[in-house]
Amino acid sequence: MANQNGETNLSVLTAGWIKQNPTFVQVLGLCPVLAVSTSADNALGMGLATLGVLAISNLFISFVRNIIPNEIRIPVYISIIAAFVTMVNLLMHGYTYDLWVSLGIYIPLIVVNCIPLGRAEAFASKHGPWKSFLDGVGMGIGFLGAIMLLGITRELFDSGTIFGYHIWSSAYDVFVVALPPGAFLVIGLYMGLFRYIGKVRSQKKAQGDESK
Amino acid sequence: MFNHVKIALILTTVMIVIAAIIAGVYFMTYAPIAKADLNAKFEAIKFVLTDQTTGQLLVDQSQIPETMKELNAKIWKSNSSGVLYSNAKLPGYVLSPAYLFKGKDGSDIYVLTGYGIGFGGRVVSVASFIKQKNGGFLENAIDVIDYANETPGLGAKINDPDVRSRFFDIPNSGFKDTIKVNKDAGLFPLPSDYKSKLNDYKDKGIIVTSDVMTGATITPRSVANTLNAMYEFLEKEVK
Repeated sequence: MANQNGETNLSVLTAGWIKQNPTFVQVLGLCPVLAVSTSADNALGMGLATLGVLAISNLFISFVRNIIPNEIRIPVYISIIAAFVTMVNLLMHGYTYDLWVSLGIYIPLIVVNCIPLGRAEAFASKHGPWKSFLDGVGMGIGFLGAIMLLGITRELFDSGTIFGYHIWSSAYDVFVVALPPGAFLVIGLYMGLFRYIGKVRSQKKAQGDESK
Repeated sequence: MFNHVKIALILTTVMIVIAAIIAGVYFMTYAPIAKADLNAKFEAIKFVLTDQTTGQLLVDQSQIPETMKELNAKIWKSNSSGVLYSNAKLPGYVLSPAYLFKGKDGSDIYVLTGYGIGFGGRVVSVASFIKQKNGGFLENAIDVIDYANETPGLGAKINDPDVRSRFFDIPNSGFKDTIKVNKDAGLFPLPSDYKSKLNDYKDKGIIVTSDVMTGATITPRSVANTLNAMYEFLEKEVK
């Protein structure tokens, strides 16, 4: 059912996938995206951890939004996000040790990723728990998709593998994509692609409106 | 005034609730975390007690510890400070306890844990050293067990098999003037035939890492420093 702003559950869930993709469109939380996307494994782990933190922190922030005075909303949001990141860190240390070692410092750094705080401030503080949860899941999926795209591309061009499975000969290896300049290069190309898709879609929409 | 007190009370309440939830998760994950850390240590010890060329254990299977009690029975040296040896110049540190195993051929095999300072803090490694009949020690293998603060894709590649293997089988001649990564030893860029000379470089104390860890020097240097500290410790302690 749509609310006053015309938001349906489906539109809230899917907004972050492409149209408001946190990485390629909103350009948020680039530090972990660039640093961790050296392999598909790392990207999947980081993406899932961020998705979990986003969904649960959005839900809790929405629950408490009416009892938190405006003056202290930011410290409360950050504390809630930090609490869930700490929990994810503890759980990964205990149950997915190899991935926890591999992701290292970037799990605790989800706290300072702009996306959870951005969604808390822009969405969860103004909407009910269910829609806030869906927004967290949707934005998390958008982030997961973006970081996976980068992780797969960089792993493929760096070592010719995806998730460790050999795809092509190492003769095609372009090791620079595994380095920081390569990360900027790849994300720049994807951002350009997303912009181009957006432009083409809006032109088609405009042409459709004119013909009507 | 009343508003300030109200805000303080709300903030305090929120923090207490958050602290209680985190405490609950901490207690829930305490045992799994301890188990995961211990398993990592057991796996590392087994790994460094394996001949990396043949894949065979250097000790009898019965000597490989699987419980804390079995591991404690292998303690060779320990102290209450937690650090058995340190060389602040490197910097490299050997942690307590150190373990001693008897090889299948009767040789003494020392298993040490130590750390050097990487890009994001401690890089902890477990390494084994086989006492040689003609004096000195052969460094058999290493396993890097904590590099959680190193940069993924760069320094965090330190425990990749390709990188780790560069630190295997370093003879005592290599430790004569401390081992160094090739960039620190002035061997950069690498000559075209460097791959066939990796063991010759090891004999001279040069560990080639720049080809398998492009863009990262600090992390492999920290592992080299750890091994240097371990070797110094063994030379000092083993008569």
